[in-house]
Amino acid sequence: MYEIRFHGRGGQGGRMAAEAYALAAFLEGSYAVSFPFFGAERRGAPVRAFTRVDDKKIRIKTQVYEPDYVVVLDETLIETEDVLEGLKEDGMVIINTAKKPEEVRLSKPVKCATVDATSIALEILGRPITNTAILGAIAKATGRVSIDSIEKAIIEKFGARLGKEAGEKNAKAARVAYEKTLVGVAQGGKAFVPRKKWLPTVEEMPIGGATPAMETDAGLVGIGSFIENKTGDWRTFMPIIDKEKCIGCKFCWFYCPEGCISMEDGKASVDYDYCKGCGICANECPVNAIEMKREVRT
Amino acid sequence: MNIKDLPEESLFTPGHTACAGCPAPAIVRNMMKIFGKDTIVYTPANCLLVFSGTYPYLAWRVPYLHEAFENTAACISGVARAYRKKGKKTLVVGIAGDGGTYDIGIQALSGAAERNEDVIYVCYDNEAYMNTGIQRSGATPYGAATTTTPAGRKIAGKLEHKKDMAEIMRAHEVPYVATLSISHPKDFLEKVEKAKETEGFRYLHVLSPCPTGWRFDPAKSIEIARKAVDSGMWTLYEAEYGEITNIYKPKKKIPVEEYIKGQGRFRHFTPEMIAELQKWVDRKWKRLYGELPES
Repeated sequence: MYEIRFHGRGGQGGRMAAEAYALAAFLEGSYAVSFPFFGAERRGAPVRAFTRVDDKKIRIKTQVYEPDYVVVLDETLIETEDVLEGLKEDGMVIINTAKKPEEVRLSKPVKCATVDATSIALEILGRPITNTAILGAIAKATGRVSIDSIEKAIIEKFGARLGKEAGEKNAKAARVAYEKTLVGVAQGGKAFVPRKKWLPTVEEMPIGGATPAMETDAGLVGIGSFIENKTGDWRTFMPIIDKEKCIGCKFCWFYCPEGCISMEDGKASVDYDYCKGCGICANECPVNAIEMKREVRT
Repeated sequence: MNIKDLPEESLFTPGHTACAGCPAPAIVRNMMKIFGKDTIVYTPANCLLVFSGTYPYLAWRVPYLHEAFENTAACISGVARAYRKKGKKTLVVGIAGDGGTYDIGIQALSGAAERNEDVIYVCYDNEAYMNTGIQRSGATPYGAATTTTPAGRKIAGKLEHKKDMAEIMRAHEVPYVATLSISHPKDFLEKVEKAKETEGFRYLHVLSPCPTGWRFDPAKSIEIARKAVDSGMWTLYEAEYGEITNIYKPKKKIPVEEYIKGQGRFRHFTPEMIAELQKWVDRKWKRLYGELPES
């Protein structure tokens, strides 16, 4: 049996990738199961999904804690959490990034495959949905299933949901990614500080389950504390404001769902710590002073 | 009241986990700027609860309460009465989704309205149970695909039309009922201000296009809200004690086909289905705005 853990963001299709991979393995005569981690995640928040493949019936129903392969659909995730957690000794990580495997830095040196799935998806699908491209990379990097089966699985799974044409385009994205995937070894040595979680003791818990505004060793909790949660890494495109063009009408300031636009000297300014890159500001700007640009992260 | 009259200080923080492009945080943030600090907010189960109050985080900078799904109006009634008993004028606001208003919360809501409780009830309407994964509600429009009304070969989307919740509330003859759209800031802010100034039961109903559930590009949320108004899918008006006192009539009526374009939930629409939805819109238009414009 081998196990895969997918790390993605809500809406990137990590669950669909896990399911399509399971279908590809099934088409080759294996037993396969897949399921997502269920939580209160919105589109853009970090999520996980799992696939198990075996040549006999699979009875185990838990999450995957010690994967053979880790698949990362969004490279910002390798900055904030240790995706290698529990990875088997000779395991491999497959990452969506424009970098070469040798340029990727993780908590320890491991076998690593990289592919710029976002660019491939934007070019072929017109949207930064990377779940099908990454499947091609898995086929190439692991050799566990053939790219032909991956294509068949994508056409069957995505075609049924999005229509025949979309199914074929997604299969093409997988094929292109298959051809462009690089395999090597990532660098190690990146340190992760585990996030502290505020867990009150019984004595600390106020009557009625209310949470007053408090500063704890895990940061702020209670009223106004969501400010601790930086959502800037959800973004694929970033708004760039042309201050010359900006007329200070404040429409973007009003419409921004994050409330991360402020006015500086009468001109709009974005707090990129929180901007999720939805593009509403650019769409609503009456003088087209805002442009959405593909963000290159270093 | 206009955008430029709003205070800079926000009572709803960034960092919340709403989907990119969801207009609900902008709706509540801008409302809160008018409601001000002396406000207590209640939400039942809905997306807003999940993205603004995931323990131990809270996006609100005012006291915030959560109770069960069905009793928003009952809870805010109790909170308001307690404050009034103590001689405090604190504004008590309940914000529920369309599921928590149209379906699950309607009996408590009707009761509170009939008792004329001194509260503001806000329904932010994204036309399905989005929090639990896009199930149809009484607010889902005709033909829209949801996970419980999928677009199949025999039955395509929801068979029934959207329930007119604001009219049900108007029939309660409460001090104030208004329908709002974030795409029309001046109208939006004036109505929120009016609600704040009014005493007794106030009902605000806001359309909140959902990029995830309606399946459209997140950048288009406001544009789609605007098209909803211009097509007549969403109508803007105010009513006091059951009488309509103010109507916002779009300058030009656009066909409903233009509104549904670009929304994945309507992708399967046939010309017959478009005609059926247009008929519903036209009926609604005539009722509120009078005769249809010549096309």
